[in-house]
Amino acid sequence: MAEDAVRVSQQQTKPVKIIKWKVREGTTVPVGRVILLYVFPDAEKVQQLKLKASQAGIIHTILAEEDRVVQPGEPLYTIKACSHPTIMNDMCAECGADLRKDDFPKSTASVPMIHAIPDLKVSEEQAQKLGQADSDRLIKDRKLVLLVDLDQTLIHTTNDNIPPNIKDVYHFQLYGPKSPWYHTRLRPGTHKFLNSVCELYELHICTFGTRHYAHMIAMFLDSDQKFFSNRILSRDECFDPTSKKANLKALFPCGDDMVCIIDDREDVWSHATNLIHVKPYHFFQHTGDINAPPGLDKQENDEKEGVDLTNIVKQSQKSNESSSSIDNGEPKAKESGEKNGSRDEKEGNGSHDQAVIKESITEENEKNCKIENDNQSITNNQKPSDETSENVVDCITNSNPSKENKETELKRESNTEDNVPHSENCLKNDSNNGVLKNTSNSPENKQNRQSNDGYIEIEDSDDYLIYLEDILKRIHAVYYELFDKMESGKIPDLKKVIPYVKGQVLKGCKLVFSGLVPTHYKLEDSKAYQVARSLGAEVQLEIDDETSHLVAVRPGTAKVNAGRRKKNLKIVTPDWLWCCAERWEQADERIFPLNAKGSKNRHPPPHCSSPEHVPTYPEHDTPALRKRTPSGRFMDTINPLMSFSRDDIANMDKEVEDILDDDTDDDTEEEGNVPIQADNEDDQNDTDVEDVNLKHMVQTEILDIYDKEDDDQRETTKDSNSEEENDVNDQHSSRKRRLEDDENSQDLPSRRFRRGEDVDELDVDPLQDPDDNDSDSFEAPDEEDDGEWNMMGAALEREFLSD
Amino acid sequence: MFYHISLEHEILLHPQYFGPQLLEKVKTKLYTEVEGTCTGKYGFVIAVTTIDSIGAGLILPGQGFVVYPVKYKAIVFRPFKGEVLDAVVRQVNKVGMFAEIGPLSCFISHHSIPAEMEFCPNVNPQCYKTKEEDIVIHAEGEIRLKIVGTRVDASGIFAIGTLMDDFLGLISN
Repeated sequence: MAEDAVRVSQQQTKPVKIIKWKVREGTTVPVGRVILLYVFPDAEKVQQLKLKASQAGIIHTILAEEDRVVQPGEPLYTIKACSHPTIMNDMCAECGADLRKDDFPKSTASVPMIHAIPDLKVSEEQAQKLGQADSDRLIKDRKLVLLVDLDQTLIHTTNDNIPPNIKDVYHFQLYGPKSPWYHTRLRPGTHKFLNSVCELYELHICTFGTRHYAHMIAMFLDSDQKFFSNRILSRDECFDPTSKKANLKALFPCGDDMVCIIDDREDVWSHATNLIHVKPYHFFQHTGDINAPPGLDKQENDEKEGVDLTNIVKQSQKSNESSSSIDNGEPKAKESGEKNGSRDEKEGNGSHDQAVIKESITEENEKNCKIENDNQSITNNQKPSDETSENVVDCITNSNPSKENKETELKRESNTEDNVPHSENCLKNDSNNGVLKNTSNSPENKQNRQSNDGYIEIEDSDDYLIYLEDILKRIHAVYYELFDKMESGKIPDLKKVIPYVKGQVLKGCKLVFSGLVPTHYKLEDSKAYQVARSLGAEVQLEIDDETSHLVAVRPGTAKVNAGRRKKNLKIVTPDWLWCCAERWEQADERIFPLNAKGSKNRHPPPHCSSPEHVPTYPEHDTPALRKRTPSGRFMDTINPLMSFSRDDIANMDKEVEDILDDDTDDDTEEEGNVPIQADNEDDQNDTDVEDVNLKHMVQTEILDIYDKEDDDQRETTKDSNSEEENDVNDQHSSRKRRLEDDENSQDLPSRRFRRGEDVDELDVDPLQDPDDNDSDSFEAPDEEDDGEWNMMGAALEREFLSD
Repeated sequence: MFYHISLEHEILLHPQYFGPQLLEKVKTKLYTEVEGTCTGKYGFVIAVTTIDSIGAGLILPGQGFVVYPVKYKAIVFRPFKGEVLDAVVRQVNKVGMFAEIGPLSCFISHHSIPAEMEFCPNVNPQCYKTKEEDIVIHAEGEIRLKIVGTRVDASGIFAIGTLMDDFLGLISN
């Protein structure tokens, strides 16, 4: 019925002359649309009249040409009944027919093209037409489409209780006065980011939040609808509760060739290649993605970082109480280093506020304290801090060591690394510079201070949007460069362009991994390999002259030792690779030198993984193995001994020590240990572990621990940022002690090594390769000591190799 | 179209209101309960003008609630097919535009917008405009439209409109 064209004939009683057709064949006409203009040629007064459509539909054929006189009853045109190409609320938007009634034919409209109005549907054909118009317009404006996720990409929202007086946090309720409060923090630089990106991209919001929520956030982001207009897709409009991908086809019926996506979750886009996986923004503690797909807890993705706001509120109350004496008083600083920083700033400004930092033992401080207790050398190393702020020490001494927190260790580690390249030239202002640098480099650091109006301003140093903006600009540039090269009518596909842009990041770099990929694991399957490949780097198995970077987890492996001999080879920690993957640029290698501490980040942070390779990556094939190891890390499953907890190792440590104490003078035993250590380091990365006998392994573990402690010590030393000034005393004393030690047991440096406490005072890793005297970071050890160690090491190596 | 008609409504009152203010309470409850509602037959109840009679209250056995039958006059708004109305544009998009006539929402497909008006997504706010830019329809603009279809459901009435007729389109002051 719908396909049958209805013939419409001239209804007048007199012949008419057609002046002009107002429609063409194929035009959709609703009721009342003017079809043609006509006159009665016989009439005395010539007056143009309009013939209007009495029935909605599509003009099929026009049967009478212009300027012809048509007799009554003669056909004018044929019209096909309305196919209801646009439907709103089950009503045809063209002819107004109610499609819920049975006598109307089923509509073909099925594509909800408008983000926030799922009831409005258009037919495939219409959708194609509209989509084509969209792409044409985008190309004309040289724009692309950018789908923007909200939660943890541009904002972070929590429904926990948080203090009301924090700056730049929006508080809102969605469902009336008694509904829960939500608190939203925009990622730093969001407005600037949107402003510059909207020049190049048509922005769409694509979120798993509810419609209310999405529109509320859009209001915060874009109060005059400049960026997003009405292009907001929320959970209410999503076809699939676990994936956003399904909606793409509807929004972009002509294909998603021009669609770029930024999201902190890959899974909801089925790991699409046109996705830029952003680093999740995390501000509030204990809240991950509040609108995570179903089946995921809101706590998921909660990295247990963020600002401890409860302390802030307590602190602000305290400081309010004493505000008569304190203007501008810092309620609290998160990290000791930052206290120095802000204090320095203040002093530089000539303000002499003596903000009393009460014994607010923050988590951070506790963590710091833990580390410092580990190292047992806190006071010495904290000296530069002490000079600027005694309160730091107060805090630290008042605080109790709490549970171990690896993240903080890592943080400190990265701080240390940041400082290394600067330690030489900035001696005096070192601590201050170091702090500033930390702020810019470790996004987790947060600074806060209270301003006069009672609002607490929390500075979080998340600067990811700067990099993201750069990435998007590059993609846009490359896309239109390609577009200009292509013949007209064709457009490049962002699904290919984006991986290409990513592949330019480390193009030409040749990487060798050391300690990054488990021995029995295929290099090609490892995440690190995939990340490196997606960035365009080549990954080699062995170092050769072409190799540009050696990515090593720990020093002392065969590859690292070999790499140290190469002039142009840059030795970096895996963090360098992850940083490159995060920012899509070749990060400065000097920020990520491989120091004695090595790196713990063997696995890339989840947002660095590459969309290109992920689908083939057997991410979920390790659950069986995971069960075996308490830590759950796949790495640990290679060697069952490595999965021992610290306590286990400590026990073993003690056991062996007891045994060794029984026969103290057994030098051969001692000598046996060292090469095994070296061997094991190589083994983990390059050769098979299975041959190594168990006892040796246990001892190796112990040695590893000593080694680690040694490293910790060194790291803290560096952390203090002005080793030259401050470690002088330290070194003097330790040298003295060392001399005494040497006098006591001159021929046996290895004896000191065997005793855990003494080893702490050694400045050099006894197990390092003999020619490893590149003063990576730490102070030069005593010459003779060094030589002795080296000689011994070399001897042991020879001995072992001859075996 | 607007009508002034007589309607009836039953007010269910909690016993806590039994007292000197009882009838006042019935009246205020009537206002809150009927104004702004929508029925398929009469359309939107815009405003209660007079309360003609409040019948004898009937106490519901076992509950203590009392039911008052109330007769009142109200202004109602009932849209009809073919009716021409003035509306305020709420949203403009590539498929068409949404407009509101008081409580009534209305959608106008882009096919029902004169062909000389084109959708311009790049300007802020988005709009439909002619080439000469003498007519620009964007959100918050006032238009005159003709209703071509209505859908009445529990929550309200939804209408489909068109601008394809004489004297329809942007209302210029």
